[in-house]
This record gives sequence, structure tokens and C-alpha cells, in this order.
Amino acid sequence: MVRPTNFEIREEATEPVLVLTVTGELDMNTVEQLATQVEERLAAGPRPLTLNLAELAFMDSSGLRLLIDLYDRSQRESWKLTIVAPRSEAATMVLRATGADTALPFESDGSA
Amino acid sequence: MPAPLINQILDLAPNAVVSMDESGRVTYWNPRAEEMFGVSSDDALGNRVAELIVPERFRAAHAAAVDLFLANGTGPLIGRKVELEALRSDGTEFPVELTLSAVRDGDRWMFHAFVADISGRRETEQQRDLLVDELRVALQDSERRFQAVVGSFSDPVTIRDRQDRIVYANRAALQTLGFESVQQLRETPPADIMADYIVSGDDGRPVAMEDIPSVRILGGQRAEPLLIRTINRQTGAQRWQLLKSAPLLDSDREIEATITVIEDVTEQKRAERQNAFLADVSAALASSLDYEQTLRNVAQLAVPDVVDWCAVDLRDEDGDRRPVAVAHADPEQLKLAEELRNYEEIRLNPNEGIGLVFRTGQSVLYPAILDEMLVRLAADQHHLDLLREVGMRSVAVVPMTVGNRILGAMTLVNAESGRTLDDFDLRLAQQVADRAAVAIENARLYSERSSIAHTLQQSLLPEQLPQIPGFELASVYIPAFESTEVGGDFYDVWELEDGWMLMIGDVTGKGIEAAALTSLVRHTMRAASEFESSPAELLARVDSILKKQRARSICTALCMRLFEDRALLAAGGHPLPLHVSSRGVNRVGEHGPLLGGFSDVSWEDTTVEFEPDSIVVAYTDGVTDAIGADGTRYGLQRLCDTLAQFRGRSATAVIEGLTVALGEFQIGTHADDTAALVLRRRGTRTREREGHEASAAENLTVTE
Repeated sequence: MVRPTNFEIREEATEPVLVLTVTGELDMNTVEQLATQVEERLAAGPRPLTLNLAELAFMDSSGLRLLIDLYDRSQRESWKLTIVAPRSEAATMVLRATGADTALPFESDGSA
Repeated sequence: MPAPLINQILDLAPNAVVSMDESGRVTYWNPRAEEMFGVSSDDALGNRVAELIVPERFRAAHAAAVDLFLANGTGPLIGRKVELEALRSDGTEFPVELTLSAVRDGDRWMFHAFVADISGRRETEQQRDLLVDELRVALQDSERRFQAVVGSFSDPVTIRDRQDRIVYANRAALQTLGFESVQQLRETPPADIMADYIVSGDDGRPVAMEDIPSVRILGGQRAEPLLIRTINRQTGAQRWQLLKSAPLLDSDREIEATITVIEDVTEQKRAERQNAFLADVSAALASSLDYEQTLRNVAQLAVPDVVDWCAVDLRDEDGDRRPVAVAHADPEQLKLAEELRNYEEIRLNPNEGIGLVFRTGQSVLYPAILDEMLVRLAADQHHLDLLREVGMRSVAVVPMTVGNRILGAMTLVNAESGRTLDDFDLRLAQQVADRAAVAIENARLYSERSSIAHTLQQSLLPEQLPQIPGFELASVYIPAFESTEVGGDFYDVWELEDGWMLMIGDVTGKGIEAAALTSLVRHTMRAASEFESSPAELLARVDSILKKQRARSICTALCMRLFEDRALLAAGGHPLPLHVSSRGVNRVGEHGPLLGGFSDVSWEDTTVEFEPDSIVVAYTDGVTDAIGADGTRYGLQRLCDTLAQFRGRSATAVIEGLTVALGEFQIGTHADDTAALVLRRRGTRTREREGHEASAAENLTVTE
């Protein structure tokens, strides 16, 4: 099912850290877009990655699955993954319900 | 040298006009020639044509052709339309279409060349315009010159007088109309000539006399070119022609006659119609997975523009036919088809028509259906009458194949329109049949996959829920919309020595992997529950098994151990169940980590006490993540509101209410799998526990 969503990925290359700021709804319809973009950027070689999810409006289990996969990969390939926690309740719920809020490398963006 | 008036007209001509004398020198060079060759009229006049516009390598041949003509009075290029390379002043070459005429001027020859730049192929239209101009010029110039230009022109040209009688027709026109001489044509009334053809506009509607360009001109009106479709009654050949007419004025500038050039655009029109039709067919085939319906739509698209009748038959496993579609523009004719169907054999004659196509996989074309064929085919007199009434003129049957499997056949019949079917139609039909075959195959594969997925899914869910004394149980599982894959949601209910175990979960992912994972989780849980009584411990057991899997295996699960009036429950990354009781709708339990996802994790059991008639609803995130028509999610608050309305109702009523509410909310599709399990404690007379609140229930506050 396709519906209009304001899903967007903005990219900041502040060498050596790659910062991807994701807004809108990260769900089964959009997760592939983020996965592909991360894959393309990391193809050249490992580098620190920051996923800024502060403005994310919603996340479902498929979004969480991607975060877990990325964390696994960062451990395996020895690069640093940082996730800026979402502020909205709808995006946080899945993180709290699954214990991901404590298990994944979250960092507050300072405004939460 | 053309007269001054003619020069004026030629100056306006859209194509280059170059005149040359016997010595090969330019005597006239119009403005378009200046543009085309990059040489001004002043620079061209008096110079050799060969040096101006003939590429060097052709100059010898050019000179030889001129000499040959001067010696014999004939030459290979005279009066014909030929395509050549021409030279520009900057040395570049470009393709041109050249019409060359030779006119006797006193005792010397004069050559006139009409040159169109065809590098852009935009010239076609202009060429026709020019021709009409040329003809006007030619007629005003001299009869000889007219004959030289028009007589040998490859497009049919006719001239009609004010009474609309044909007074002139060139060779091409005579040939097209099937006459030996202009004399013979002149003596035949126009109505008789027309009677040999079925004439219609491009849209198939009849053409009125007042729309014919020459008639319009004689009536003093402007005449746009008119596209007509003709079907030769005798041969059934179908042609498209563009009629272009211009007035011929006498010396008083009164209309003396009309000249008409008939351009045959059959090839273009056929290609155009074929592309449009194939595009429609592709769209129709892609529109739905109900292939029988799409085949009916395709058959409908073909009539009446492409063919009079179109039928589709599928071939079953025994090689027999299964009629799927018969289309005709006229419902009356369809009744005929219905009657004929009574005579159709399901067992096909393997040497005729559809039977032959089913056997060989090759298309067959019967360009002309003769009455004796009908007589041979007819089962009885009534059958023969019906067949004659259809009036089949030609028939084509093309196979629908994928690889070397013959899925069916498409039958095209031309009848009352008088058209015959030819190789072009056969190729078009084959292209349609090829596309249809792919669509059928895709639809079949899809439905097979769907049904495999459905079967597998069924095997992952309990066949039917057990009866738990003192409780009512109901569940719903809604797979993602049009899914051909096994979804990730599952639930299970089983009996233990001292109670019951309920479980609901969601493995992320789909398909065979999800199915395998679901199976693993269910069996681990069931096996471990034999010796492990704590739900939290069961989750820990599953977690450790998942972490041993080679591929990353994660899942959410909610596990609930049920006693007579209470339950122990633990959640592993799963939405907490909702407890609907006299205290309202509350979430119960504690969040615990996802299974298989994180290291150094543990789970805790929570006790929930059930008052009689209270309900526990366990669900997967497909419920709360469901997207509504306005783009919002169903969410926890809506779920609580819905459940509140069903307080005190049966478990089945709650499931039904929830399913309906979700269905109404969603856009009409379930984007994700959705599962829910509802447990209701039956009411008892001794309500000794009423008023006791579930110890771990938290008051529900939901912000969205």
C-alpha cells in the first residue's frame, strides 16, 4: 500500500561522520529507502554513522529491525553507530516496548 | 523559363525548385533553394547545377544521365520521385527527395527539379502541399509540363470538373481504382466507382458527400485534408487514404475544376492503431489478477475497430477448450454466438481451427471463408443457417503460449464489416495473445503462491482454539492485503498439567524464513513449557535459542500462563495486552526486551487477576499500526475506545467488533499482518473476587 508520507532523508557529510537525518514515518513502506541509502554510503568502507531520528513522526517494527541490523553490523565491522532518539511518542513506543531504548546506542539530541 | 506568375507561386513553395537548361546551368532558383543549399539565387543563376548541389562522386553519373536524356529523350530520373544525397555550400551532404521533370521549350529541353529535404522526414506533409502547388503551376504552365510532372507521380491524382466528373486521372489513380484508361474511368459514373468500396471516416462513421474535399471546394468552402478508410467489397482489403484537394482556377479566377491527391497512409494508420490497441491491451491485462475478466476486457477492446468478433478459449489439462470470452460490438450478434455455442464441441477437431492450434501451437489464418466450408462444418440445417447468418469472411486463430505450453487460443473473425484478415492482423493478434498468455501465467502463479502461503499460514496457527474451562477464547488473523507470502504474526494456545498457556507473537520478516522462525518459536515454547512454568523463563529460553540461529532471528512474543482466575504474563518486545474490566480498559504487564535481539537481557512475570466477565485482548502491532483513510494510525487510543464499547460482551463479539472497526478504519487493505487473541473469563455466581484489581494493571494514558 502506498500513501503520501513526508518521509525524507537528509544527508550531512561532516567528515568523517556521516549524519542522516530522517523525518516522517519510518515504516515498512519507507524502511527500504533508508536501508538502501545507508548501504550505498557504507559501500565505500566503514565510517561512523549518526542516524538523527529526533524529528521522526512514527516508527514500526520494520524500522526497529533496521536499527538492530545496523547496530549488529557496526559491531561486526567496528565502526561507531549513534542514534539520536526520536521525540514523538508514536516513534518512541516501539523502542520502549522492545527494550531497544536501552539496548541500542541512543544519544539524546539535548532538547529532549 | 517559368512565366512571372509561376515564379511568384514557386517563390512561395515550401520545397526547393531548381530549373536548368540543356547545358546544365541554373535558370531558376527559388528562395527555399537558397535556404536549403546555402546559395543565393544570384550566385546560382548561370552556374552548373552539378557543381552547386551534386556531391562530387555523383557528378559523372549526373552528366552522363543528362547526355543520355538529350540523346534519347528519356532518362532514369525523369518523372520519378527518387531519394538522393545533395550537397550544401558548406560541403555537408543531406538526403533529399527529388522529382525531376523535363519540358520541351521550343527546340530545347528544360529541366525542373522539385527538391524536399527529407533529413527530418517532416517533408511528407509539405510534399503533398507542394505537389498541389506544383500541379496548379503545371496546369497553368502547359499541358506537356503537367503530364511530365503528374503523369508519372506515384500517388494517385484525379481532376474533377465542376459537375464532379473525373476528367483526368494519372496512372497511379487508374491503377488504384482498377481502370484501364482515363476514357473508361470517365465513362463510369462516380456512384458506380464508390459502390465497389465501403467508405468510412477514420472513426468508422460514414462519410457524408459534403465532407469530401473536392465537393467542399466546388461549393466554395475551404477543404482540410480528409482521412478516409475504404474496404474493397470484392477483396476485403482495407486502406486508409488522405484526400487533399485544391481548386484549379480559370483565367477569370473562377473555380474550373478540383485536383485531388490521394495519399495512401495505410501503413502509418495501421501501425498507429496497432500501437494504441496494444497499449490498451497491456493496460487491461495489468489491471487485475482476475485473468478471465481481463481476457474478456481484451476481447472487448478488439471489437469493432480491430476485428468484428473476438473470442478467447483456454485449454484445460486434457487439451479441451474452455470458452472464456466472446465479444462483438452488437448485442444482437452475441445472441447468435450464444446459439452457436450449443453446437460447439468441447472435444475439438485436431485438424481444424482451435483444435489445430491447440495441437500444434501454430497460428492459422483462413483468409476467405467459403460457403462450402460452412456446409462441411455444419451439424444440421439450423447450424448452417446460423453460420451463414454470422457471415464470416475470414478467420484467424492464434495460440496463447508460455514456453512450449499452450494455454489457450484467441480467435478473430471478420464478418459484416467486409474486411478480410491478412498477415498484418495475424501478427497483431499474436502480439496480443503473447501478452495475454504472460498475464494468465502470472495470475496462475500468483494464485498458486497465494494458496501455498495460505496453507502454510494455516499450519502455523492452531487449527481451532481449545475449550478452556471457565473461559471463552476467540481469535482473528488477517494476512496483509493480497499477500502471497507467509506473514510474521502467530499465536498458540495449549494445555499444561496445571493450567493453560497462551502465546502471541510477531517474527519480523515474511515468507519461508518467517515461517521457519515461527515454527521454531512455537515448538521451543511448547517444549519448554513442559518443565518451565514461568512465562518470563520461557521467553528467556526462546531468546537463547534464537541467538543460536545462524541468521539474525528476532521476534516479539507475549506469553501468558492462565490459572482459574488469574494469569502470569511476560512480554518480550510485544505490545502489552489490554484488560477490559469494570475499571475500564487498562494495559497490563511490563515491557520486556525483544527476543533474539539484545544481549544481557531478562524478563519478569506479572500477575493479572481476572474479575468475572473481564476480558484480556492480546494483539500484534498490525492492529495499532493500521493506517486509516486520513493517513493516521489506528493507535492505542482508538483500540481502547473500541474495546470499551464491548465490555461484558462475548469473546467472539469482541473479535468481530474489532475486525469491523479496523476494516472501517483502514483504506481497504491490511498493509501488515494483523492478529488478535481475546480471552474472557466467564461470569460466575460467586463473585468473591469482584472489586479486586489486577495487581500490575496500570492506568492507561495514551498520547498520540
